[in-house]
Amino acid sequence: MPAIRKPNLESLTSINPDGSRNFLHPADVEGKFTMWRRVFGAVLLAVYLLLPWIKIGGYPAVFLDIAERRFHFFGLTFLAEDLWIGFFLFTGLGFGLFYVTALFGRLWCGWTCPYTVFLEQIYRRIERLVDGDAMARRKLDAAKLSGEKIAKRSIKHGLYLLVSLFIAHIFISYFVSIPRLYQFIQQSPYENAKIFGVMLFLTGCLYFAFSWFREQFCIILCPYGRIQSALTDDDTIIIGYDEGRGEPRGKKSDPLAGDCVACNRCVQVCPTGIDIRNGLQLECIGCANCIDACNQVMDKTGRPRGLVRYDSLRGLEGKKTRYWRPRVALYTGFMCMGVAMLGLFLTGLHSAKIELVRMPGQPYYMDDNGVRNQYRLNLVTKQNQETRFKFTIPDLPEGAIVSGIEETVVLAAGEETMKTVLVQMPKDKYTGEFLFKIEVTVEPGDFTISDSAEFLGPSPYTLN
Amino acid sequence: MTDKEDLADHVTLRDHEYDGIQEYDQKLPGWWLFTFYIAIAWFIVAWFANYQLPFTYTTDEDALAGQLALIEMRKNEELKTMLATLTDESVQEMSQDPTHVAAGKAIFETKCVACHGSDLSAKINGMQLPGVALNDAEWLYGGKPLEIMNTITNGSPDVTKGMIAWSSQLSPSEVAQTAAFILSNQPE
Repeated sequence: MPAIRKPNLESLTSINPDGSRNFLHPADVEGKFTMWRRVFGAVLLAVYLLLPWIKIGGYPAVFLDIAERRFHFFGLTFLAEDLWIGFFLFTGLGFGLFYVTALFGRLWCGWTCPYTVFLEQIYRRIERLVDGDAMARRKLDAAKLSGEKIAKRSIKHGLYLLVSLFIAHIFISYFVSIPRLYQFIQQSPYENAKIFGVMLFLTGCLYFAFSWFREQFCIILCPYGRIQSALTDDDTIIIGYDEGRGEPRGKKSDPLAGDCVACNRCVQVCPTGIDIRNGLQLECIGCANCIDACNQVMDKTGRPRGLVRYDSLRGLEGKKTRYWRPRVALYTGFMCMGVAMLGLFLTGLHSAKIELVRMPGQPYYMDDNGVRNQYRLNLVTKQNQETRFKFTIPDLPEGAIVSGIEETVVLAAGEETMKTVLVQMPKDKYTGEFLFKIEVTVEPGDFTISDSAEFLGPSPYTLN
Repeated sequence: MTDKEDLADHVTLRDHEYDGIQEYDQKLPGWWLFTFYIAIAWFIVAWFANYQLPFTYTTDEDALAGQLALIEMRKNEELKTMLATLTDESVQEMSQDPTHVAAGKAIFETKCVACHGSDLSAKINGMQLPGVALNDAEWLYGGKPLEIMNTITNGSPDVTKGMIAWSSQLSPSEVAQTAAFILSNQPE
């Protein structure tokens, strides 16, 4: 059996000196954080699984309908042209993540990142179930090809593939909805070749990522992981080792030694193969395995918990952590700005749309009846039921005649239409150009939306 | 400057140093190099396939242009067959067909009603609308079915009057249906 590589600060434990991969087998760990991480992971997986099934306002809770270019989020429907709102969503979320990182380091990576949740809560558990604990897995890796090894490998990779297929199908249901997905499943792959291809590609990616690539993604590829050093500082809460308390390492019986008994449990349980006692390292995804492992050992040796703990670098030196710092204030400000703008625009977003634009051709027409402007009125309903539009024009100048929108317009679910609207001013009432507004009351929903346009014409002095 | 003594066994430090920054001499991960080799292999295959072999493949732009050309062709074909079969009599026949008239009515109510009025009288509450009344026997630009269709398609011959050419918004058959609806409202 190969010796476990000793972690160092200069190179990755998971990459051998010759560039080949050193496959890590983190040992089992039990404890407070492990338990809560499991609960949290289960909740997140349930959310991922259930969102396409839960219906809100007649559509799945999250349904990105690419084919129809309609995007449904928890009862709100967005059209492709509403995409600009996404800017505020993503800046809000982005700075929200910055904010959490400045305060708590890679909390996202260890607790919520889908990559970690899938890997730790599904794939690693399958591996544990089929191959046994870390020792057994290492032994099996080193063993010569035998009937048992072939059987175990086939079962493990078969299960990996099944789970990957399942996750990929759920992912696709976010874009085509569950009933359509079910329909696709029953049809020949040739009939939906593109989607079938996407599904295969996704399955392949998931299988590759979680059966082989694993921590390499977090360490080398993930952009969020790579900007950590720019987002955290000495006051950020990270997972760290209390050097003052732990050093020098030694046996429990040694009166000169610190609290660390050099049992190496923290190294054995680490999914990225680092020694947390070497300090904060870019590989650390903040999974808290080492905290649980060390706490167990501390309990056994009768020493206080928290030799490895959530604390800031400053806190680990025995000083006080400053939570409110310029960096945090800045990120809070940016996050609040994004969220406030998002909220503002979402309240202004309605389940129907009205747009008043001038008809192509001359800007205005003159005849015996007076000055005339022609407009096109676009109406869209995003509701999944029959929608009625009733029009009013407030503050219309005296004498103006509007035609084309006398009657209530009824649109079927999700339909749109274009009406011709005409505004006419008799010569004797015309006093120049003006701005007017068409208001429309939408049923069901009973809200009012409007759009305005300019009425153009010649200088009134030239008319008489 | 990092002390060489502190380094792990297999790690060597290279000799050069710039502004106090030094470099480890370590191998790249195997999989990382592999992506690099794959890119080289891909470049050779792609270069060979694209520039050395007579393969052609459609880009999105080509596909879009093709689809647009197809739509244009279908439109022209529809126009051609309609023009070949369309006579004053056939449009007159359409005006007796309730489905065509209903379709024409729906188009009329969104596009034409603003100027010509919902009862085709070009009046609203007794006030004159800019359009020409279509429910009488008078025609400015010809009252034969094909002449009506021509006015809808190409707009009023007098551009100052405001009737635009609807050909960009209505297909030939929709124009025919609209004409059929107008004809169905003609006094006997």
